[in-house]
Amino acid sequence: MSAITSLSPEQKMSAIRCHHLIKRYGETQVVHAFDLDVADNEFVVFLGPSGCGKSTILRMLAGLEDISGGDLHIGGQRVNDLPPQERGIAMVFQNYALYPHMTVRDNIAFGLKRLKVPKAEIDSRIKEVSDTLGLERYLQRKPTELSGGQQQRVAIARAMIKTPKVFLFDEPLSNLDAKLRNHMRIEIAKLHQTLKTTTVYVTHDQHEAMTLADRIVLLRDGRIEQVGTPQEIFERPRSAFVAGFIGTPPMNLREMAVHGLDGGQCELRGGGGSVRVDARRFALEGRARATLGVRPAHLHLETAKSNGEGFAGEVQLIEYLGNEVLVSVGQGGEEIAVLLPSAAGPRLGEPLRLVADAQQVHLFDVATGASLLRPDAVLH
Amino acid sequence: MRSHKTRLPAVFIGPGLLVLAVLALVPTVFAIAISLQDRELGQADTGWVWFSNYVQLFSDRRFLNSVRVSLVWEVLTVSATMALAVLMGTLMHRCATPRWRQVLSMLFIVPVLLPRVSAAFVWKFAFHPLFGLITWPYKAITGEPLDLFADPVLALLTVAFVDVWQWGLFFAVIVLKLLETLPPQPFEAARLDHAKTWEVYAYVALPMLKAPLISLAFVKMVESLRAFDLIYVMTRGGPGISTETLDMYAFSQGFIESGRISYASSMAVLMMVASTVAFTYIWKWTKPS
Amino acid sequence: MKKLAIGTLLARLALIAAGLSALVPVLWTFLNSFKNRVDIVSAVPKFFFTPTLDNYLYVLNREAVAAGLVNSIVVAGAAVIIGAVLGLPAAYALARYPLRWGNDIQFFVLSMRFLPPVAVAIPLMVIWLQLELYDSRIALIATYTLLTLSTVIWLAIPAFKAVPKEVEEAGRVDGYGPYAIFFRIALPIAARSLVGAIAFGFVLVWNEFLIALMLTTSEAKTLPIVASELSQLGRDVPWGILNASVILLSLPPLLMVGVLSGFLNAAFKRKREAA
Repeated sequence: MSAITSLSPEQKMSAIRCHHLIKRYGETQVVHAFDLDVADNEFVVFLGPSGCGKSTILRMLAGLEDISGGDLHIGGQRVNDLPPQERGIAMVFQNYALYPHMTVRDNIAFGLKRLKVPKAEIDSRIKEVSDTLGLERYLQRKPTELSGGQQQRVAIARAMIKTPKVFLFDEPLSNLDAKLRNHMRIEIAKLHQTLKTTTVYVTHDQHEAMTLADRIVLLRDGRIEQVGTPQEIFERPRSAFVAGFIGTPPMNLREMAVHGLDGGQCELRGGGGSVRVDARRFALEGRARATLGVRPAHLHLETAKSNGEGFAGEVQLIEYLGNEVLVSVGQGGEEIAVLLPSAAGPRLGEPLRLVADAQQVHLFDVATGASLLRPDAVLH
Repeated sequence: MRSHKTRLPAVFIGPGLLVLAVLALVPTVFAIAISLQDRELGQADTGWVWFSNYVQLFSDRRFLNSVRVSLVWEVLTVSATMALAVLMGTLMHRCATPRWRQVLSMLFIVPVLLPRVSAAFVWKFAFHPLFGLITWPYKAITGEPLDLFADPVLALLTVAFVDVWQWGLFFAVIVLKLLETLPPQPFEAARLDHAKTWEVYAYVALPMLKAPLISLAFVKMVESLRAFDLIYVMTRGGPGISTETLDMYAFSQGFIESGRISYASSMAVLMMVASTVAFTYIWKWTKPS
Repeated sequence: MKKLAIGTLLARLALIAAGLSALVPVLWTFLNSFKNRVDIVSAVPKFFFTPTLDNYLYVLNREAVAAGLVNSIVVAGAAVIIGAVLGLPAAYALARYPLRWGNDIQFFVLSMRFLPPVAVAIPLMVIWLQLELYDSRIALIATYTLLTLSTVIWLAIPAFKAVPKEVEEAGRVDGYGPYAIFFRIALPIAARSLVGAIAFGFVLVWNEFLIALMLTTSEAKTLPIVASELSQLGRDVPWGILNASVILLSLPPLLMVGVLSGFLNAAFKRKREAA
């Protein structure tokens, strides 16, 4: 049992409070000391590669997995030992998990029937929910007769009708094709605007995360890498892992040697190129090497003003993206990617020289991957 | 996985397991106990003779013959069943349209559903020397009735034929279904490599099904030990004792001939041991974890 | 592109022959059950004859047959019902709840299927004699329950495993307890396969011969025993009557062809989807 049994007024205001949550399977620990406060009406996204623990934590929130250690409070109440139906949560599963032997109508109403809600009220709530999600025509059908998107909406309706304190979504869009995924994503966003229910949403798709979240929790190997708004995570990644995970196309990362220059500048050299940075923006004291991170959109072609720095190489690969092209420029086995306007029209084998936007460059510790950017450094 | 300790597993498994345990263990214990005595049906007094029944078994010529017959029976029926099943299964997979496969599948299940007794009668009738349907052509051509049950070897083969008829066709359906579960890509790759059809099956399909096929063979091995019904009806163990398998002999000792229940029990115990050992092998094979 | 090669033609002929072999003997027996004796024992098999219902009338009117039929129905039915009531929940618990001895229990249950009937019947004969329950339906029902229980559990476990775990979890989130989830979610979803499992158990017990032979003498004889006794009526075997009784005996299992076919298909569909 944790020592924290009474919460401060501010803590009581959070819809969800996770304190040192731990999950163990036998000898193996898969979630390490997870701490998070989710505010009322907030849309939080758990993001990360497979196996990072995001679904496990969600299932602990739902009550489908035992909590090995730590405290979980939902709506100010400690829920560690409460079954799912007493936690005030509703869940939307990845494979929809609709009851195949019941009609859509019975699927939606199944949870309410157990609470012995009067029939009239069940009917009116069903009508409300099916109108919102456009399911009126499908109420008498069985789930197998519906398309993937329709089934997903039924799953959402089933969750909505219980007016829970918290919505939990477990990768709900992974089974849909790209076009449908886009459409449903917008529906979910609009739904959140209307209902304003606190939501925890799990996904491995960073695009979904960036567009839907108020805050993103990026996880790796059962630990939090970073918590922040999409903008914070994108502009100030706390580690090389976060920097490489967020953003498409992915950030260029390479190890460079650090050399001091005059006038508070440093030059980083390596892999056939060099970059000059303002040393005051980074914690570079005593370092001989650092990992450089620069996004393809933050590189540009050399102009007359560049003074010998930059990356030189030949065009190895051109990927046409529409308005832009993603060009891989390489020399001696090392490559760097850059986004250029299509009009620039690079050709294979053409020699190019690229210069990084000094204000948009990131540096990371070579061993730990931690960001070396000073908190007070200005980005724009 | 479960959030709360629920008593459902105990409540649900308990009664069934209890019933099963009682129904299984009591006879087993009894069988062992009886086999160590010298009981006879209808006689009140018994004494403990310990292992003398077992010792006697191994010098009993008729027992040894029944073991031989059982072994021959096992090898014959299992190999013939698997051969028929694989042949018919692949033929169906290769040459039959889906609709034909459905029709044939339903037809092929009919033999195994029949009570063994019925199957025995049906074929005994069909093979009857005087007015059987199958023996009629022979009679028409040679003018001699064909009595398959008079010759020891033929009798065994005939009974084995019925057993394979029942199980081989059924297994053929299973083989077909197994083949249908295979992904098509390896076949396509083999075809692109100019493999002939039979090679595709022999070298690609069947090796992929090695595990389930071996399981099927084991199942048949155990099923073959229960050939009593067929033999009892078709030949009663004859001519002579040429079709008398282990279970027929045990039955005759315990039931018909002398009510020598202890002697029969010792055979029963041996059979239990053999089938348990065989089953343990099957279990270990199919569940490596 | 299918070329009708000789090989394919031969293969199809072989398949048709096999299919016919599965059906013709049974049909022949069926045909002959309507023949008068004189038509049966003719030297040349007759396909055209004047049919008669005498055989069936004889068979159905015999007390022994009626009694055998009733016994078979009662004994098989009761054993199947007990097997289902005890076995289905047990299979569900074994399929869904990982237990320390779960694997060992399954091993034990399955090994029951493989006991040679003779080995089981011999001690049981002694036991029932001592309990003075020999030749009673109760003895047979108890003995057959061993078979039906183990068969139902064996076949129901994969059926329950095939119920998607997420659907059961959705039930939990909707607030239903473990028992409710079994009855209202798992059972209905697995229903088709479970019916197949129960049908299989029924066929198994209906066809059972050796155990019934050893455990009954007059009162509780089941239909297979009665049918086999009809063949021992002296040297003049009444083939017409015999054929009629064989057909009667085989009817209930054969009626299950549809159910069992569907069960097989469902079982392999699962495998295909898992592959």
